[in-house]
Amino acid sequence: MITIKNLEFSYSKKTKLLSNLNLHLEAGRIHGLLGKNGEGKSTLLKLISGLVFPKEGTVDVMGFLPQIRKPEMLQEIFFLPEELPQITLSIENYEKVYAPFYPNFSSEKFDEYLNEFDVNNKKNKLNKLSHGQKKKVMIAFGLATNTKLLLMDEPTNGLDIPSKGQFRRMVAAGVDENRCLIISTHQVHDLDSLIDNIIVMEKHEIVFNQPIENISKKLLFRIGNRNENNEKTIYSEDTLHGLYQVCENTSNEDSKLDIELLFNAITTKTKEITKLF
Amino acid sequence: MNTNFSFNRLGLLLKRFFVENGQKELTFWAISIVVFMLMYGPASVVIYITIGGFIFASNMYKSFGYTPGGMHYLLIPATHLEKLVSGIILSTFYFLTGVLISYFIGNTLGTHLGNVIFNLNNTVHFQLFETANEINNISSGSSYLDMFIGFAIVQSIFLLGSIYFKRSTIGKTFLSIIVFSVVIGLIELILLKLNFDTTSIQSQNINISLLEVKSMFPGLEVVGEIIKYATVPFFWVVSYFRLTEKEV
Repeated sequence: MITIKNLEFSYSKKTKLLSNLNLHLEAGRIHGLLGKNGEGKSTLLKLISGLVFPKEGTVDVMGFLPQIRKPEMLQEIFFLPEELPQITLSIENYEKVYAPFYPNFSSEKFDEYLNEFDVNNKKNKLNKLSHGQKKKVMIAFGLATNTKLLLMDEPTNGLDIPSKGQFRRMVAAGVDENRCLIISTHQVHDLDSLIDNIIVMEKHEIVFNQPIENISKKLLFRIGNRNENNEKTIYSEDTLHGLYQVCENTSNEDSKLDIELLFNAITTKTKEITKLF
Repeated sequence: MNTNFSFNRLGLLLKRFFVENGQKELTFWAISIVVFMLMYGPASVVIYITIGGFIFASNMYKSFGYTPGGMHYLLIPATHLEKLVSGIILSTFYFLTGVLISYFIGNTLGTHLGNVIFNLNNTVHFQLFETANEINNISSGSSYLDMFIGFAIVQSIFLLGSIYFKRSTIGKTFLSIIVFSVVIGLIELILLKLNFDTTSIQSQNINISLLEVKSMFPGLEVVGEIIKYATVPFFWVVSYFRLTEKEV
């Protein structure tokens, strides 16, 4: 669905934001795009949607060049930015105005998602809603568009605790084998048990891009003993609950993936982790 | 699916404008009717239409003024051409139609209200159009066309400014016009200096009538006509390419 080759991007001539970036993403998955602040996660989403143009290299989205911004491509992309636009329309009118641009939009689904988020009055104006409420409306709208590609930049920012759970349920239910969802976030716990492919950006490059099943096969997440010296340990974090470790999974053991631990392991022990895959 | 231009998508873009700005538009036209009721003389009407026009055109792509708005607009599934054409229709044709309807209503209401309040017996005069004929002393059709072209040129320049500049589009467009005028003025001075060895026309006795100029440069009139009719499309084309290059 998305193929990026040798991508270079910078906002100014002096500093490169993305350098020699290569990425291939398939449909039917929820991709978690993780990275520290300023690594270029949002910019990568903008490049995929054609909002900024590559300086070098190519981006192919569903067979389209995003920078051309053809309506056939745009009607199959929904981008939920971190900062939402100021829209003076009511929810009802927003649907009336923007839904016809998306041929697969489902009004029933939109209502269903709004109900699930406890947003009941469609006569409410979007600019009068809180940030969290507005975000819920946009998430519901995005899912209801049934676009092949959904890009979400920090979607759980501003959502209350119950809404984060609802968000996970709705997204999990809304994605099928034809849809591709990319969620960029640094709130990794919000994506627990949701994403099935992890992409990590470090030093303006993609240093890790693996499906969850591969990660579980190759890595073991466990709480170890502080005095124990395990040579299979790649990375460890000392916490109140014990020594959280990421180890090489040589015994094919099952363990619960800790995304935060994995992220920290990748960013500090990049070579050791990547050579296992 | 038509990849270049779809009337359906254009209609959706226009609908979007009216649903989003319906109340603001109604308020503006209501104010315009009141203004035209109170206005006397064509000059003030022309000034009102011109200023109102370029403010309207400058706000056509105001969503580019802040990043989330620009992103939202660029991601609307419509071609750049459809987005530009909707802007042209609204800033040039819709605004002019709206302002003329307001002028007709305002002028008619104003005259009748004046007759009732001040016990007068005035007939309704649309001085805006009468003046155009008197000044140009030519057929009204041609005069109206010139008026429209003048209006459309201003609108097309400010429409481009609205796409080109991120913020303070009116001020920056004005500044660009001033800079452009200064450059043209300097070129004129240089040409005067080279041809007549002076920098001022007033100080020289250059007795060249318009007819003589036309005979000296036979293609001049044609060039003038081309510039007159090509200016608006030129700015529309530049706006189109600017829109395709727009990054947010």
